[in-house]
Amino acid sequence: MHELRALVSRLLSLFRRGRLDADLDAELESHLELLTDELRRGGLSEDEARLAARRELGGIAQVKEAVRDQRGLPFLETLLQDLRFGLRGLARHPGFTTVAVLTLALGIGGNTAIFSAVQAVLLSGLPVPEPERLVVITTRDAQGGETSDFSYPMFRDLRDGARPYLSVLATAGAQVNLSAPGVREQVKGELVSGGYFETLGVRPLLGRFFTAAEDVTPGAHPVAVLSHGAWLRRFGGDPSVVGREVLLNGRSITVVGIAPPEFRGLDPTNQIDVRIPMTMATVFRPFPANRLQNRRQRWMRLTARLAPGVTRAGAQASLDALFRNVRAAELPPPSSAAGDYERRRALTERVVLLPGARGLGHLQGAMRMPLLLLQGVAAVVLLIACANIANLMLARNAARRHEIAVRASLGAGRGRLLRQWLTESLLLSAGGGAAGLLLALLLHAGMRSLVPPEAAGLLGSALDPRVLAFALAASALTGLLTGLAPALQAVRSAPFAALRGEAAGGSDRLLSLRGGLVLAQVALAVPLLVAAALLAGTLRNLHRVDTGFARQNLVLASLNPSLNGLPQPRIAALYRELLDGARALPGVTSAALAGASVLSGDWDRLGIAVEGYTPRQGESMSPNANHVSPGYFGTMGMQLVLGRDFTEADALGAPKVAVVNETMARAYFGGASPIGRRFTLEPGGPFDVEIVGLVRDAKYVNLRERTPRHFYVSVWQSPRHFDLTLHLRTGGDPAALIGSVRDLMRRLDPAVPLYGITTLEAQIETSLVRERLVSAFSTTFGLLALLLATIGLYGVVAFSVAQRTREIGIRLALGGQRRDVVALVVRHVSGVVGTGLLAGFALSLGAGRALGSLLYGVTPGSRGAYAGATLLLALVAAVAAYLPARRAASVDPVRALRCE
Amino acid sequence: MRETDDRGEVLQGTLDLIVLKTLETLGPLHGYGIAQRVQQVSHDALRLNQGTLYPALVRLEQRGFIKGTWGASENNRRARFYALTRAGRKQLEAETAEWERTAALMARLLRGSEA
Repeated sequence: MHELRALVSRLLSLFRRGRLDADLDAELESHLELLTDELRRGGLSEDEARLAARRELGGIAQVKEAVRDQRGLPFLETLLQDLRFGLRGLARHPGFTTVAVLTLALGIGGNTAIFSAVQAVLLSGLPVPEPERLVVITTRDAQGGETSDFSYPMFRDLRDGARPYLSVLATAGAQVNLSAPGVREQVKGELVSGGYFETLGVRPLLGRFFTAAEDVTPGAHPVAVLSHGAWLRRFGGDPSVVGREVLLNGRSITVVGIAPPEFRGLDPTNQIDVRIPMTMATVFRPFPANRLQNRRQRWMRLTARLAPGVTRAGAQASLDALFRNVRAAELPPPSSAAGDYERRRALTERVVLLPGARGLGHLQGAMRMPLLLLQGVAAVVLLIACANIANLMLARNAARRHEIAVRASLGAGRGRLLRQWLTESLLLSAGGGAAGLLLALLLHAGMRSLVPPEAAGLLGSALDPRVLAFALAASALTGLLTGLAPALQAVRSAPFAALRGEAAGGSDRLLSLRGGLVLAQVALAVPLLVAAALLAGTLRNLHRVDTGFARQNLVLASLNPSLNGLPQPRIAALYRELLDGARALPGVTSAALAGASVLSGDWDRLGIAVEGYTPRQGESMSPNANHVSPGYFGTMGMQLVLGRDFTEADALGAPKVAVVNETMARAYFGGASPIGRRFTLEPGGPFDVEIVGLVRDAKYVNLRERTPRHFYVSVWQSPRHFDLTLHLRTGGDPAALIGSVRDLMRRLDPAVPLYGITTLEAQIETSLVRERLVSAFSTTFGLLALLLATIGLYGVVAFSVAQRTREIGIRLALGGQRRDVVALVVRHVSGVVGTGLLAGFALSLGAGRALGSLLYGVTPGSRGAYAGATLLLALVAAVAAYLPARRAASVDPVRALRCE
Repeated sequence: MRETDDRGEVLQGTLDLIVLKTLETLGPLHGYGIAQRVQQVSHDALRLNQGTLYPALVRLEQRGFIKGTWGASENNRRARFYALTRAGRKQLEAETAEWERTAALMARLLRGSEA
């Protein structure tokens, strides 16, 4: 209590120092007078008494100093003094200060922006209470096969059996056509088990979530919960939507609640619009009909919350025992040899619980490497920036030798000097950090515009507390890094020698320290430039890769009339009408339907058996497959090498036919023609599919893939139609066509929405988002590193020329050639840059290897990248050396010798 | 303030107690008077360095044990007089008790070690 009062009083005293000092002076003066009076009364003369009193009182200055220390907060006062002095010093050199703050702002801002993405994508958990207690249930078998899919009966068994230590919930995707007054579109749906919201700990924004009773009878619970986003976008945030009925896939469903805005489900990359009870799978995923009873149908993903006090390992052991019991009971008895093999393999399946704090997203996996890479790159750029500032401060030290010396001789201790210098660098880095934070906000907005809109929310907010803490820590560290070397150098530099005059030795040491810093900058810039070149090469290669189809002028639009509950004959008719109508649209040169579009990331694999072909041990017999209409290959610009395209005659009831790609033909038939060969889609059955065509290889899932085996079947031979994608080849601007396609669909059936309307080029660009982001950032950082290193190099060379003006003057006066003087500078620069390059190559080897899987079509040791980086550095080094060299050569010997 | 003196220097805690006790005995007093009084009472065995006394006065005032006001001295000099506050009186009681306890304990201990 008294201590607190004392502290407050000390703090307050800082603001009334003048008054208190005057009081103290008066008090001590009165003490002196009283003492003098006393002594005079003792018989001394006036003067003698005054003198004796002064002696008696002792050093007045010391007394004042002691009182001041007691009165205020000496530590804070020195700090304020340092700050004031530092600010004044920085203000006196606005050029230096501006360059330093901007340089640090670039370094800190870049790091903070990348960190904001790292923290949003890799570090933060799902926005639910205690996300760290969530686990994802997966299994692994003896062959290393991993799966995270489970059947509904298995889910029920696990949920019921694990209740004491785990709350298990299940999710599965569903396509949903939503219609309500004024709204008609395809939305993303998710089937969720009864305890979904409760287990995750989410509370509804409006209305209610699902009850346990709604988790019982298949097909009998027509209720739905809207996501906050869907509620805003589709219903304008109207609260009266709760309790209202909407049509989902043609079924009347009651909206019972709205999820809170921050809730993004278990996979933040996949924005679900509407959630429906799992028991409604009979309506929303109607095939196969016995989905909820079939133990062989594994289609749901399981997530669970650990009970309090239960560890992941403990829960895994218990759940594994339970899982194996259930599995042993559910597998069919061993009958055939194949069944026996399957059974043995299935029984090796073990439960593995993965940490689920970040949900089920795949993004973490895909973005982990690139983000960590960029963070590393940004950190190196910051290091280079630090070296630059340290270099500038060292140069200033040289100019401040006199000041340092004066301060030292006036009694400033080493500690005080060190503190003063560090205060200055921390002031700079604080300024840089503040400006960097602003820059990070801009960069963050830029990043959001580079990714597809649905992923932008994932990048979180740049003003997250963790991001702010990071910026603060980065600034503090930067301040120490930049300030330490100059501060130590300032303290060590012999101050008294400086007072006596110019000391040559210290200047040489300083120069070598600064040369070392520049060398490190060059060495660090090399791997960044090499990496940027490799990544830019990767992007270029991916853009140039032979896709096997024509990219330009292709419009895509998908639809799924089956979700509207239309009968299959009507669906087939609708698809034909759409195709005919599209072909008649002005501007359309050809049109086709396909089950999936290339590079959409959405692909089927079908198990087959090939007549006359025996698979090798472990060989996968599930090539990629696509259902396509006649005219697909022509529309895509895929070249038919042999045989024929599908025709309208290849319909339901006609002999089944297929077209294969070159890789598939080579795999199963060697060099022989595949035409007329047969396979089956039902291994064990007759070989009833005849190959009628061979088409050139293409890219299917992504641009980096090694071409997989791939075949096509005629879409008109499918007994049932689900979602198909319309492909339109246009003569001109594809975007102009989108409106007329929408009109066409509305004329044919206004209840069926089109979705995924895009162009093939846009789809390719979307598939390259990651590559574009990484390449853009690494190029920016690489050039930034180059710029900083150049500035550093220029600074050191210019400084050394200025320092040696006298020496150069003497050389010239003694008959030295100007050419030799230039050679002197060039030797200096090439020494630093050459050594830096060599060290940089060594670092690049490691960096290239770290890039590994991010590269495409370039090797980490690519000579082009190294040559490019070397050339670029040599070029800028030449520029950085040219100006100082010219100045050195133009030194006037008379003037150089006269000064000083 | 760190000047050494052949006469006894006082410990910080003790000095505070001495100043408080002096003010209790004599009533409001200026710095010079306090120094005089301490020297007198201790028969010159204890001499207060001004570099110790004045910080102590600031310290006591910061804690609210004494209060300083400007007034006129006996020979009409302007001086700053320090008076004990209520908190100071309480503090003096507490510290005196504490001091006596310590002194008694020390005495007992020293006697014990002699025996």
